[in-house]
Amino acid sequence: MKNQILQAYKQAPWRIQIQWIGLFMLAVVLIAAITGLYLNISAQAATSGRKIQYLESDIEDINNEIADLTTQLAKAQSTKNMRVRAEELGFKMIDPNNAVYLEIPGYDPNANLVLAPPRVNIIAESPIVKSSYKISLWEWFIDQIWQPTINSTGFEGGMLP
Amino acid sequence: MKMPFHGRFLSIVIICAILGGAIVVQMVRINYTIYAQQLIAKSEDYQGIEKVIYPSRGNIYDRSGHILATNQVGFELGIDLKFVTDPESIAFSVASIIDDMDYVNVYELANTEKRDVENRYFVLSSYVSKEKIDELARLKENYAERRQEEKSSKPSLSGLVWYPMQQRTYPEGTLAANILGFYNYFSRETAQGVYGIEEAYNRLLTGKPQSVFMPNDPYLVEALPDIQPGASLVLTIDRDIQSMIEKTLADAIEWSDAEGGTIIVADPKTGEILGMASTPYFNPNEYWKYEETFPGITPYNRAIGTTYEPGSVFKVITMAAALDSGVAEPSTTYNDATGVYWVANSWPIYNWDGGAWGEQDMTGCMQHSLNVCLAHIAIDLLHEDLFYQYVQAFGFGKSTGIDLASEANYPLRLPTSNQWVEIDLATNSFGQGIAVTPIQMVTAISAVANDGLMMTPHVVRSVIDRGQQYDVTPQVINSPISAEAAQTLTQMLTVALEEEASDALVEGYSIAGKTGTGEIPTEFGYTSELTNTSFVGWGPSDDPQFLVYVWLEKPTISKWGSVVAAPVFRDVVEQLVVLMRIPPDNIRLGTANE
Repeated sequence: MKNQILQAYKQAPWRIQIQWIGLFMLAVVLIAAITGLYLNISAQAATSGRKIQYLESDIEDINNEIADLTTQLAKAQSTKNMRVRAEELGFKMIDPNNAVYLEIPGYDPNANLVLAPPRVNIIAESPIVKSSYKISLWEWFIDQIWQPTINSTGFEGGMLP
Repeated sequence: MKMPFHGRFLSIVIICAILGGAIVVQMVRINYTIYAQQLIAKSEDYQGIEKVIYPSRGNIYDRSGHILATNQVGFELGIDLKFVTDPESIAFSVASIIDDMDYVNVYELANTEKRDVENRYFVLSSYVSKEKIDELARLKENYAERRQEEKSSKPSLSGLVWYPMQQRTYPEGTLAANILGFYNYFSRETAQGVYGIEEAYNRLLTGKPQSVFMPNDPYLVEALPDIQPGASLVLTIDRDIQSMIEKTLADAIEWSDAEGGTIIVADPKTGEILGMASTPYFNPNEYWKYEETFPGITPYNRAIGTTYEPGSVFKVITMAAALDSGVAEPSTTYNDATGVYWVANSWPIYNWDGGAWGEQDMTGCMQHSLNVCLAHIAIDLLHEDLFYQYVQAFGFGKSTGIDLASEANYPLRLPTSNQWVEIDLATNSFGQGIAVTPIQMVTAISAVANDGLMMTPHVVRSVIDRGQQYDVTPQVINSPISAEAAQTLTQMLTVALEEEASDALVEGYSIAGKTGTGEIPTEFGYTSELTNTSFVGWGPSDDPQFLVYVWLEKPTISKWGSVVAAPVFRDVVEQLVVLMRIPPDNIRLGTANE
């Protein structure tokens, strides 16, 4: 009799097997999903890393090109070249006795050349990318656990009176 | 009941357990052996490289923004042994295309046993021009095509690599090279500015190199830190004025057959140097030829690096002291009855022509450049204490502080020194027995042209750092004489020049000035027939906007400053007034129609 009652509540063996298989498959799927997610993120990070390298290389190339073009321009506008070009265009050195002087209000031949804004106090710039975007989920989680409790008023722990 | 094959299974389990245990033991053991640290260090080599990033060196501009020094692309050429398959072809191509490259040396490097070397990359040349690299690249392509056609592994330039980097260039060539200095860029680690601006402002121009770890693992790659380029400098130099005085100086040296020379153009009101020419001329783009251009002790920039006895231009200082101290006025007279002045009844002082000029006022003394008159002023009126007090107040005996490297200075011989003798006071009064640099003379005499205020001479007008511009404020060094004394002396020297009908006069402009003929001491005294000829002048006299100093060393056409240096001064000023847009006095003062 006792055996019969126990028999009534026992799962069928095939059902138990199915449950185990189901649980195993669930674990497999979960692991695969997490692995896939991590692989995807890693691949994206690696791709971004490579892109950064290419962009850095591009920046260097562009800087070199700018330097080269600046030099070419400076050489083309050098005193010697400008004199030759001016003479080719028919210009001559002025005869001081024939010079005509005009007074131009506001013109200051000694005014400082302005190539950049004047010096001001430099305010430290905050980083463009927040630090929370530069750490992994796991690192963020650990940080949250270890971060001391800070309430909204900025006092660590405790209550205000 | 035992399972069949139980013993065999057990044996396999035991073997696997032992193997597993052995692996674990070995793993632990490896971590604690003496090789562990070496292995870890080796593994770090494969993780990436530590690279020093050098910021671009700052540009140098003239006062109008024309580039005087900048950077262009050059290439570092090297051999990466990991990829070398044909050392002969590498050595042949490099030796035939790149100057100063030896076939044997390159071959030995390219043929180095790979496993014997820790570092598998060798630098062949730090800077190779773009044209040469293009030639190498074309050759590399040709070799690749040949290999494909012949289906062989040779010839190949595989392993010959080049990386772009910036090198210093001076687009104006020799122009202002004595001011700029040069940058010895061949060895990047030890590169630095030499002479001039490049040396004086080396740290600012260089910026801050930064060491960065560049990982091989792309997952670890991060953006490089923002490395600021070196600061750029705007000079007080005007490119057109500099070009003009360099050409005038070259012509003057050729005409007068002088050994060398200097011309300085300055703004006496601010101390700004508008132009500074000095021979010999040098192309900083080929700085490795320095020894050829400056053999022995030839100074890089005579204007700041050479001391000499200036002669009569120094009389301006003596007269300024006399007027300021009140011991003399323009109307004060001196009777030059004999043409000789005896110092302590022992040493005679003669005029430049050995003649006696009779009674002269102070303007006459300056106009005829009378040594005996100036000796009288220094000894009988100023006396040694006051004279040397003024000489020191004018900055002689110490550096001017000009912002250029390698400024020379000869210490002043003062009465407190054992070497000083009484005749020194007399000779110093007309610029003999005292050694000065041209820039010291310019700085001192600028005080006369600037109402008594002596400004610090400088060549940097603005600094541009991190995108911001800082303008240099002119600095007053000293005020050795009063504004009244300065104006009086300027007026006296204007009249003196006009009455003398000097070759330095410029039509339409009032100019104050003084000639100088300095005898050159030898080991036997002043026995040389050769002289230092100079001229200092400033104008317009009522509102001085420029001061020009001309020094020609040992001309053979004539030994007199009035014959050699004065016409050069006139040539400079005639062109200078046009470049500085200074109208003639009658137009400037509105008296043209009066």
